[in-house]
Amino acid sequence: MAEVMMPFFPDFPPPLNEALLLGVLLVIGGVLGAAAQRFRMPAVFGYVLAGFAVGPLALDLPVRPLLEEARVIVDIAVGLVLFELGRRLDLQWLRRDPSLWIASLAESALCFGGVSAALIAFGFPPIQAAVAAAIGIATSPAVVWLVTSDAHAQGQVTDRCLNLVAVNTLLAFLLTTMLVAMVHLEYRAGWLTVVLHPLYLLLGSLAIGIATGFALPYAASALTRRADVHFVLIVAAVLIAVGLATALQLSVFLALLSAGATVRNVPRRFELMEFDLGGGARVLYILLFVITGAQAAWPELQTAGWAAVIYVLARAAGKWLGVMASAPLSPLPWRQTACLGLTLMPMSGMALLLMHDIAMRYPQFGQELASVLLAAIVVFELAGPLALHWALRLSGDVKP
Amino acid sequence: MPAFKAGRALSMGVELELQLVNLRDFDLTRGAESLLSVLARSPRANNVKPEITESMIEVNSEVHTRHDDLLRDLAEVRAELCAAAEKLNIGIAGGGAHPFHHWAQRRIFPTERFSALSELYGYLAKQFTVFGQHIHIGCAGADEAIHLTRQMARFIPHLIALAAASPFSQGEDTAFDSSRLHAVSVFPLSGHMPPVADWQAFTRYFDRMAGFGIVRSMKDFYWDVRPKPEFGTIEIRVCDTPLDIETAAAIAAFAQTLCAWLEDQRGTQEDAAEDSNVYDYNRFQACRFGFAAQIADVRSGRSVSLRSEILAILERLGACAERLGSERALAFLRARATAELNDAQWMRTLNARNGSLADVVRAMCERWCGRESPGSR
Repeated sequence: MAEVMMPFFPDFPPPLNEALLLGVLLVIGGVLGAAAQRFRMPAVFGYVLAGFAVGPLALDLPVRPLLEEARVIVDIAVGLVLFELGRRLDLQWLRRDPSLWIASLAESALCFGGVSAALIAFGFPPIQAAVAAAIGIATSPAVVWLVTSDAHAQGQVTDRCLNLVAVNTLLAFLLTTMLVAMVHLEYRAGWLTVVLHPLYLLLGSLAIGIATGFALPYAASALTRRADVHFVLIVAAVLIAVGLATALQLSVFLALLSAGATVRNVPRRFELMEFDLGGGARVLYILLFVITGAQAAWPELQTAGWAAVIYVLARAAGKWLGVMASAPLSPLPWRQTACLGLTLMPMSGMALLLMHDIAMRYPQFGQELASVLLAAIVVFELAGPLALHWALRLSGDVKP
Repeated sequence: MPAFKAGRALSMGVELELQLVNLRDFDLTRGAESLLSVLARSPRANNVKPEITESMIEVNSEVHTRHDDLLRDLAEVRAELCAAAEKLNIGIAGGGAHPFHHWAQRRIFPTERFSALSELYGYLAKQFTVFGQHIHIGCAGADEAIHLTRQMARFIPHLIALAAASPFSQGEDTAFDSSRLHAVSVFPLSGHMPPVADWQAFTRYFDRMAGFGIVRSMKDFYWDVRPKPEFGTIEIRVCDTPLDIETAAAIAAFAQTLCAWLEDQRGTQEDAAEDSNVYDYNRFQACRFGFAAQIADVRSGRSVSLRSEILAILERLGACAERLGSERALAFLRARATAELNDAQWMRTLNARNGSLADVVRAMCERWCGRESPGSR
C-alpha cells in the first residue's frame, strides 16, 4: 500500500553503493591517518589500521563485491606509485656505485634464501615455500613512496632505498612468475602453459611499459612545454597502461615499473616536465591502503602460528643483513647503511592479491601457507612503516 | 678584533660556494654531510667545508701567486669532489643561485654558528641560499688592506658583470644577470666599508660598532669587500660562483692584477670617496644589465658603457699581468667581454633553446665537472 502511495521512497535499508562506501572508507582512513601523524607516526600506519578495522565489518555487510569493483582504484593508485618508483630507478648510479647493486642482490638473495629455508624446515613443500619467499622479496612501493614523500625525506638513505625497492620489486616479480610456472608443472598443467605463461607475462608487460616510457617524452615534446599538460599526459599514460595490462591479463606491476624506468633512462627524459600529483593522489592512496587492508581476512591469522613468526624474522634479517653486506664497499657510514637496511621492511599488501590469484587457480596450493603469508603481511604492514620512518629520522634524511 | 697579520702581498686564494643537486629533477638536495664524509678519506679533505644549508658546500684553494698554479689546484680539488659526488649520485654545479629551488625547503646545516644565524635572521637565512666566489688578495700591511678595500670599490661593477651567473630565481627569469647580490643587500651590515683613512681609523670604527653589540667579529660585516685581518688579506665577495673553475681562476687573477695596478698607482689617484656616491647605482646597473650596463664615471662626469670600461682596464693591466703571469687569464676575460657572453647569458640561451630549467642545471653540473655535453654551449 505504502509502495503505491510513495513510489519515490527507497527500500529500507537503502542499498549501499560505491560512492557511499568509498566516502566512508576515506573518512575512516583520513581520520586515523591524521591521528597517527599526531603521534609522530607515518599517516600510512593509520590508513592500514583503518583497513584492518573495516575488514571484519566487510564480512557482515554486503561490501565485498563493492570492494572488488573498487579494485580499479587500487590498480590506478598502484600504477601511479610504480610509475614514480620506476622513475627513481637510476641505472647509471647502479653502474657508478657497485655497493648499490651488491646491496640489492644480497638483500634479495638472503631474504629469499632465508625465508625458503625456514619454511622448508617447518615442513612446507619446497616449491610452495619458495613462492612464499619470493613474494616476501618485494618491499612495498606504495608504503615507501608515501612515507618518504610525506616526511619530505631527502638524502642518501632515501635515494638508495627507492632504488633498492625498484629493483627488489622487479626481482620479486620475476622470481614469482618463474616459480608459479613450476607450480603449474606440479599440478600437471601442460608444458606449453609452463613455458608460455611466464614468458607472456614478462614480455607482454615489458612491452607495454617500454612502449609507454618511450612514447611519453615524445608526445610531451610534440605537444607543449607546460607542466599542467604533461601532468594530464602522464595520468593518461598510466591509465592506458594499467588498462591494457589488465585487459591483456598482464602484470600491472611490471608494466608500470618498466614504464617509469624507461622514462627515467631514455635520453629524451628532459622533454617531460616534473610534476607533483598533489592532493588528488592522496585520495587514491588512502583508498589503496584501506581497501587492501580490508581484504586481509583476520580469522586465518590464528592458524599461522610459529611459521609466521619465523617468516617475519627470516625476512627482516635477510633484508637487513643483505644491505649490511654492502657496507664495506659503500660510501655511506655504517650507521646510515644500517638505517638503509631498515627502510626495506615494509611488505607489499599487493602480495595479498598475488597470493589470492594463485590460490584461486590452484586451490590445493596450501591454505596453511596462505595464512602464514597473510599473518606476515599484517605484521609488516604495521611494523614496516614504523621501521621505515624511524630509520629515515635516525639517518637524518627526515628532520628529527 | 684580531691584529692584522701581514700577508704575502698579491698572493691569492679563492672560496667557491657550490650547489648540490639531485640527478633526477635537478633541484637542490641534502648532500653536504654525505659528501664531506666521503671526502674525509681524501687528501684534499681540508679544502671542502660545510655551508649554511645542507645543499651547499664550500671549496677553497690553497694560497697562490700565479694564475696557472691556482687553476691546477682547483682542478685537483674538483676532481676529488666530482668523483665523490658520482658515487653518491649528487650533481655539483656553480652559478650564483639555483634557478628553481624553493627557499622554504632548505635545511640549515647543524652547527652552532649556522643555527644562531638562522635564529637571528629567520627566513632570510634560508633565502640566503645563494652561491658566491670569494677572492682573497694578500696585503703586506693593514693600511694597504684599507687602501685596497676602498680603491677596489670602483671595480665592483666590472667583477659583477664578469662573474654574473644567477639570472633565474625561484623558477623565474629575474631580468637580472646577477640576482644573487640582492639576497645579500637585505642584511643590515651589507654594502661597503665606510670611508676610513687607515687601519687605525678602521679599528676605532670597529670598536664603536662592537661597543653597541652590533658586531662581534669581521664575519658580521657582509660587505662587498672587507679586510680579513686574520688572513692578512682583503676579501672580495661580489662575484657569483662561476660555472667552471677556468672562469673562477681567471676572475681571481683579474682581481690580483687589479690590486697590483692599484698599488702601483697609489698616491697618484683621486680620492675614492667620490666613487661611493655612485656606488649603489653602478652596482645595481651591473647586476641588472651585466656587460650592457651604463655606469656613472665620477672621473669623466659621464655615463659610460661597462663593457668598454672592462675592455679598457684589461688593456691597461697589461704590464702588471706580464709581471704576475696572468696574461692568459686576462685574455680569457677579454674574449668574454668582447662577445658579451657571461655565465648568465649562457644559462639564458640554454633555457631559451630547451625550455627547461632542470635541463639548464643538468648542463651546469656537466660544465662544473668539466664534462661538457655536446650542444650545451
